[in-house]
This record gives sequence, C-alpha cells and structure tokens, in this order.
Amino acid sequence: MKKKTLCFLLAFAMVTASLTGCGNQSKNEAAPTDKTDDKADGSQEEVSMGEPVTLRIAWWGSQERHDKTVAAIELYESLNPNVNFEYEYYSFDDYFTKLKTLVASDEVWDVFQLGGNFPQYMDKIYPLDEFIKSGVVDVTGISDANLKTTQTTEGVQLGLTNGINTYGIAYDPVLFEEAGAKLPTDNWTWDDYKEAADLITEKLDIFGSSTFQTSDFIAGCSTYIGQQGGLGQYGFYNLDLTGMGFDDPQMLTPYIRMRADMIKKGSYPDAGASAEVTNIENDFLVTGEAAMTWVAVNQFPTIYDVCKGQGRTLALATIPKVTPDGNSGAQIQSSQMFCVSQDSEHKEAAAKFIGWFESDVECNNILQAERGIPANEDVRAALSAEATEGQQIMYDYVDMVSKLPTPKEIQVLTPSGHDQVVDNYLNYIQQVVSGEITAEMAAMKTYADAEEIFK
Amino acid sequence: MAEKKIFRKILYHTYVVLTGFIMIYPVLWMISGSFKDNSEILRGTLSLFPSVVKKGNYATGWKGFGGITFATFFMNSLVVASISTLGTVISSSLVAYSFSRIRFMGRKFWFTCMIATMMLPSQVIMIPQYLIYYRLHLVPGYVPLILPCFCGQAFFIYQMMQFMQGIPRELDEVAKIDGCSKYGIYSRIILPLLKPAVVTTVIIQFYWTWDDYMGPLLYLSRPQSYTASIAIKLFADSGSSTDFGAMLAMSTLSLVPVFLIFLFFNKHLVEGIGTTGLKG
Amino acid sequence: MDIKSTGSRKKLRSKLSIYNDVVVGHVFAAPFILGFVCFSLIPIWMSLFYSFTDYSLGKKEAIFVGLKNFAMLYNDEIFAKSIYITLKYVLISVPLKLIFALFVAVILTRKSRMVAIYRSVYYLPSLIGGSVAVALVWRQLFARKGLFNVILEGIGMDRINWFGDEKMALYPLIFMAIWQFGSSMIIFAAGLKEIPMTYYQAAAIEGANGAKKFFYITLPYLSPIILYNLVMQTISAFLTFTQVFVITGGGPNNGTMLYALNVYNQAFKYDKMGYACAMSWVMLILMTLITLVIFKSSRFWVIDDSEA
Repeated sequence: MKKKTLCFLLAFAMVTASLTGCGNQSKNEAAPTDKTDDKADGSQEEVSMGEPVTLRIAWWGSQERHDKTVAAIELYESLNPNVNFEYEYYSFDDYFTKLKTLVASDEVWDVFQLGGNFPQYMDKIYPLDEFIKSGVVDVTGISDANLKTTQTTEGVQLGLTNGINTYGIAYDPVLFEEAGAKLPTDNWTWDDYKEAADLITEKLDIFGSSTFQTSDFIAGCSTYIGQQGGLGQYGFYNLDLTGMGFDDPQMLTPYIRMRADMIKKGSYPDAGASAEVTNIENDFLVTGEAAMTWVAVNQFPTIYDVCKGQGRTLALATIPKVTPDGNSGAQIQSSQMFCVSQDSEHKEAAAKFIGWFESDVECNNILQAERGIPANEDVRAALSAEATEGQQIMYDYVDMVSKLPTPKEIQVLTPSGHDQVVDNYLNYIQQVVSGEITAEMAAMKTYADAEEIFK
Repeated sequence: MAEKKIFRKILYHTYVVLTGFIMIYPVLWMISGSFKDNSEILRGTLSLFPSVVKKGNYATGWKGFGGITFATFFMNSLVVASISTLGTVISSSLVAYSFSRIRFMGRKFWFTCMIATMMLPSQVIMIPQYLIYYRLHLVPGYVPLILPCFCGQAFFIYQMMQFMQGIPRELDEVAKIDGCSKYGIYSRIILPLLKPAVVTTVIIQFYWTWDDYMGPLLYLSRPQSYTASIAIKLFADSGSSTDFGAMLAMSTLSLVPVFLIFLFFNKHLVEGIGTTGLKG
Repeated sequence: MDIKSTGSRKKLRSKLSIYNDVVVGHVFAAPFILGFVCFSLIPIWMSLFYSFTDYSLGKKEAIFVGLKNFAMLYNDEIFAKSIYITLKYVLISVPLKLIFALFVAVILTRKSRMVAIYRSVYYLPSLIGGSVAVALVWRQLFARKGLFNVILEGIGMDRINWFGDEKMALYPLIFMAIWQFGSSMIIFAAGLKEIPMTYYQAAAIEGANGAKKFFYITLPYLSPIILYNLVMQTISAFLTFTQVFVITGGGPNNGTMLYALNVYNQAFKYDKMGYACAMSWVMLILMTLITLVIFKSSRFWVIDDSEA
C-alpha cells in the first residue's frame, strides 16, 4: 500500500512541477514580447540603413496566388538586397488554424494577410499610421474611401488592402430569355429576383439562383438590413462593433421567408446541393444548372472565362434591393489586407514592403489583381489598360458601385464569435424549410445569437 | 461432384472479386481522376475512364508552389514517416512487452492511462501540446512530429499486447529456466515472434504519418519543409479555384510509397502469427 | 551470457535491482511513461484547467469562470444533438463494421493463392480511408447525381438527397466507416489462424454443421479479439473527425455534427477554447463509462485462457 501511495505522490509531484514550470514560462514569455515592441520602435533607423533583415510573411490562396506572390516577393528581394523573405502559404482554413496557434505563442508573421474578420486579431496588428506619417508607406495613389476599407471606426490604419471588392449577381442572360424572365436592372428588387428565379426553375427545370458558401448571411443579414430605412440608418452590427445595429429582429424575416420558400420550390439549392458547390468554378451557374449566382466580383473574371469556353457569355448585375428607390446596401470593401504584426522585430521593413506591394505597378503586373481590384488608382489604370473581357466588366462594375450613394460610415467587420452566428443562421433557414420553426422564430433566434456575442 | 465443386469455386471467386472491386472503386476513381480534365472531375462523372486523357495533371501538380516541387515535399514526408515508424516500432514493442508480460506494480495504472490517451480528442490537447513544444524551442521543426513516436503509440501498444497474448507463456518459462532475464526474453523470444504485429505497425504508422496533416500544419513553417500532405491540401482553397486534376494526381503519387511498403510487407501481415511459438 | 554463468547470475539478479520486476516493468514502460507525462498529461491537465475558464486562442489571458462552461453545455441544443448523433453513429457503425470484418475474415480463410491478394484489396480502404482525397471521392459518390443515386434510379427507385436530408446524411458516413473494416478483418484473420484445426475436426466427428462450429468454436475462441476490436473501434468511432469535416462539415442542419467536429468548431472556428475543453471532458467521461462497461461485461462473454 505504501509503495502505491508513494508512486502516486511521485507522479503527482512530477506533474505539478512541470505544470508550474509551464505557468512561469508563460509569464516570462509575455515580458520579452513587450520589450521587442519597444526595441522595434527605437530601432527604426537601423533598418533603413540597410542592415540585413529577414521578414516572415504568410497568406492563403490557390496555386496561382502562391506562384504570383512568390514572384512578386522575389522581385522585391532583387530590388532590396538587404531584405530576405521567409514565406509561408496555406489554404484558407489551414491559414487560420496556423494563425491561431501563432497568436497563442506570440510569433505571428511579420507581414500577414487578414480579411474582414480582423477584429479578432486586433491585438496582433501593428497600425501603419506612423509609417504613413513618416513617409515609409506611400498612400498618395489610394483614395480615402479605399483607405477606409481597412481602418477602424476611429480611423486607425490597420493595414493596406490587397484589393477592393464588392458583391454582385452573375447571371446568364440567355437562360433568362429562354425562360421569359425579366433581366436584372440596376433597380431590381428581391421580389423581382425571386420571381425570375421561380420562373426559370418552372420553365427550365434548373435552379433559378445558385448559392455560394455563406452568401445567404451576407445577403440576408449584412446587406438586407442595410437596405432598409434611411441611408446608413441600420447595419447588422453597430459601427463600434459593440452591439446590434438594428432593433427589430423581424427586419430579418422577409428574406428568410423568401429563401425558405425558394428552397421548397427548388429554385434555390438545398443544403445537400449547396454542399456540392465547393468553389466558384463548380458553381451551378458555371455547370449550367443555375441561371444566376452570388459572387464576390474578383471571382467574376474566372467564371466568365470558364463560361466563355463553353460558348456562354455571363453578365454582372447589382444586388437586388428591398424597394426600387431604396438603398443599394452595396459596399466597397477590402477583400483582404496585409498587416504588420505586433510580434515583428522589423515593423518598419514590413510596412515598407506592404506599401510597395500595394502601389508598385511592376509588382501588380505580376499579381494581376488576383486578390481583388487594386486600391491604388495608378495601378488600376495600368492594369485595366490590358484587362481581359471579364476583368473589364469587373472594373466597370466596381466603378459603378463606388459611385452609388453609400453611408459615410459603414461596418463591414465581424466580431469574434461571428462564425457561429452565421452557421446557426444557415441552419435556421433549413429548419424553416423543414417546417420545424417559422421564419419569425428564425429571425428571433438569429438576433438572440448575435446579441449573445456582446454579453 | 467435381463440376459442382468448380462451380462453387467460380461463384466464390466472382463474389469476392466483385466485392473487392466495390471496395477499391473510390481509389480507382481517384487514380482515373488524375487523368481527367478539371471540368470533368467537377461534373462528377463516375466513369473510371476519362473522356479525354489529360496527362498534364502530373506535370502541373509536380511543379508545386512558388518554385518548390513535389520532390521536396515527398522527400520531407519520407524522412518524417520513416523515422516516426522506426520510433513507433521500437518504443511500442518495449511498452507492450512490459504491459503484457511483466507483473509490476503500477501496470494497471499505466495501462489505464494509455487507454485514456486514446480517448481525448486531439483537437483539445493540440494547442497545449503546441505550447509545450514551443517553449522547448522545438517549433518550427520536425522534432514535435517525431518525438511522440519514440514514446510509444497507444494504438500500437494495445495491438502488440494483443499479439503477445498469442505467444505462449511457456516460451518465457523455458527461457527463464535457461537463465534469460526479462531483457533477454524480450529481445530473443518476443521480438522475433512479434513480426506480424511489427509489420502491421510499420504499414499503418507509415501511412498515418505520411498522411497526417494537422501535425505538420502546426509544427512546420517554411514551404521547403512542408510534407506532401500539406502540399496536397494547398491545391484546395475554398475561396478561389481548385485544380482537382493536379490534386488527384499528387494524391495518387502519394499513395505509391504507401502501396510499395504495403506490397513489400503484406506477405508477413497475417502469415506470421500462425507459425509463431511452439507450433512453428 | 552463456549457460555456465547462470548460477552466479541468479544470485546477482536478486541483488541487482534492475532485475526486480517493478524496475524491469518501468524500464520497458519508460518511453510511454515519459511521453505520457510530458506530452499527454500536461496538455490534458491544461485542458481541464481551461474548461473552467473563458480561454480563447486569440486572447492572452484566461478568466476563471467556474462551472459556467458546464452549465452552458446543459442548455446547448447543438451539443445535445451532437451527442445524440455521435452515439447513433457509434452504435450503428461499430457492430456492423465488426460483423462485416468477421464475415470477410471467415470467408477469406480458404486455402487459395488468391486469398492474400483479396485480403490486401479489402485491407486497402481502411489504410487510406482517413485521407482527404478519399473523403472527397466519397462525397462525390453520394452527390445528387452520384453513383449511389444512379444505381437507385437504375433499379427504379427514387433518388435520395443524401446530404440534403438531415435524417439521411449520417448514413454515407456510416457506410464509409463500415467500408474501412480492413484493419479489424486482419486482426480477426490472425485470430482465426490460431484456432487449432483439431477442434473443428473433433466437432465434425460429432456431426456439427458449419453454423454450429462457428458459434461453438470460432466465436468463443475469438472472443478476446472481438473485445479488442470492439474497444478500439468504439474509441476511434467516437473520435471520427476528418471524414465528417471534409464530407459534410456537420450539415445539413447539424445532422452530422459528430462530437469531435463540434469540439473543433468551438475551439478553432468560434474561438471558445474553454468551452471546447469542457465539452471534451464531458465526452471523455462518457467514453470512459462506455469503455468500462465493455471491459466489465467482457467477464461474461470473453473466454480468455491466458489470464490466470
């Protein structure tokens, strides 16, 4: 018996010892990070003197993006021999898994890519303002509106956008005509949209409208709420991201009801069918099984080219509105941005690279707007001179949308915990379809889920 | 009578072959997919024969990303998987021996701990584990991928214990009378007789480490050090286009080493155990 | 090490502690014990600690919240659903998989040159079944116009919307689990080879038919191996992740939200590490109970001659 107790005691002691070891280490560890911050601030001059610097950089994307970005980095290295890059690239999901582990261990890459979910990583972002002020980062070619896409509501410049983007509806006019449906106009409404989709399904036995990933949330929550009331009166979240941007959950209901009704009628893919759409290239619009789909416009050139190969010509329409003369709800936003990390020991060198990456014409000639439309006017002008047909439609569309009246302040960011609201919302729509709950209840539940974030 | 026998034999083989075909259909589909055009794969045709044979998938896939070819990725995988497999075999057999053949105090306790390690989902201990390796300054690097394999893998320990039960204890007794210590019994009697279990371990563990992608994702950083499993996942980015042809081509290639190991060791897989011990 | 020295070594052995069973045992088990303490116990301990905090990956410090996470579990509909789905998955897939594995193992005991090849073919799926590529193929097979629906239509039945119908979506995953019966089959096959032929011959003399032989000789003799496979497959079924992550992502309407995926979502997607830890501890306890029941019940149905 004694031996047994001893054994347990020993094991326990070992565990506690190692555990306390861990705890101490984590405390010790926090301190040096703070120090590095100070050091980096003080040592800005050293960097510009041309001392060798190694920058760690990471992004997510496809094979095409990896190749192009690596080529751009190599160009930068040849122009700045003192800068050496260690780059990493991942697919989207893996990128964030990796980023989260790096956040946990305070070793986030010097330059890293973020999308609209950046408020979750706010602690890790080192703002660019001081570098813009000191002239390290040149933003003269970028309009204020475009700069704003990567600012906090207080105007802190978190990063520079890799490309601006907006949403639209890509459609095949021939299929509309075959079914005798009204073609989209700049002032079409959700009712027009539903009517056209239902008619197409009835006549052609294909989906009227296809779906892409979480588009139902962007359409039914972010956009649909903003389209109601006066310009800028409502948003899904409020501007400071501290609470909800609207009071009446029932403002969500009509969209949910429309969506559920379309799924029931077969004019919109149900859960099983939409799960088959794994990326934009096998969207039902591209495979000919749907007459329109929701796109982020930087995806448009790709599907335009694929459909061109099949002998079809796609067009791009604005997002439907609640009323013909109501708000468009359209927003020009950053598709993703490059940021400098708090953990970086070479913040200035990192910022300098970001400035170059966004504004250098030669660099962007390599990148070919694969991440979205360049925010820098000169770069955009240079690129659109040699644009393909699909790209040209995309450029024209973005120009058109940016001229629409938009509220002064917009909220395109998402708070931590947002993904769960989205997942639940999509499930509620399915529950409405199966008759488990009503559209009104789905709206209430979504509102409650979102409110929960801020408690 | 003879006719009936032959008929039954044919029936048996047809049945087994047909079922076998269904079993490996998904694998065959993957291989044929590596010769299909992206759009044909996306259309989801089930035919095993590509309408137009496209050989370019292998070339585009092999090209890799940003100047690093799959030669590098496969080499990395090979190194990690080989060392891990070696470590697993050595450590797991040692531990299995102690659990199944030595009656020592604490045996039950450690055995219970071992079963418990199999039950906790890796997703929750992943981050604490990462932090430990990070504080030991082993990240980024291959060590966190390899080191645990030298500490015995619960799955294989349990499996080897199972095999050891089939090795008659009389052998231990005889050896003991001959003056063999427990160490001697392990190295001279148990280990040689454990061959089938070792072979299973080699095949399974090699494939697991070869295919594991969560570990390499967390512990490796530079693309030069990526294993093939991460590299294959790089083809599939949900936000943009995916080159399925290239992805299936590289997936097919990545099965080749596994398949070779399988073929090489397969003979010993089930055979061994029947000829073990006294009956041998 | 030769026989002459045996006498003196025997004396030595009693003195030298490295031949003491407790020491020998720990020496052999050392790799596991070290690894367990360093890389399992500490993380497990940390996860227990986190389960009482609001820890999330993006945040630095964790605030102690007491039992709040566990209280939240009680009201979490998705958690309840995921437990129900996981249990359903385990209860259907594990027995079917084992029955199938045993069935094939028995069929493949024939003496034929082809058997080795057949075995390899049947084994292959369980080896590569966890890979992403295979999971993608599987999703394609059960797609709306996939192989299974083509077959269903071919025999004049209606198509099934596998991944669109909450009630059906789990079955492709169960099929996939059963499809990977190979590793259990190999272990059964090894066990079958161990059964002395004399038993069967004796039974044949007494006039026993095939079924009788199977139930009175094969099954009892295999019972320790059945126990082993049952435990291993139950545990691995509880932890199924990659397949469901790639094939359905938990949908539709959480109809395939297996618990490991739920844990992953909470920890990595929704940034609720503390909550995810609490979740895994509840599940760990549940799994331990189930495993214990299996082990305890084995007393009544496992005939094991090696245990004294």
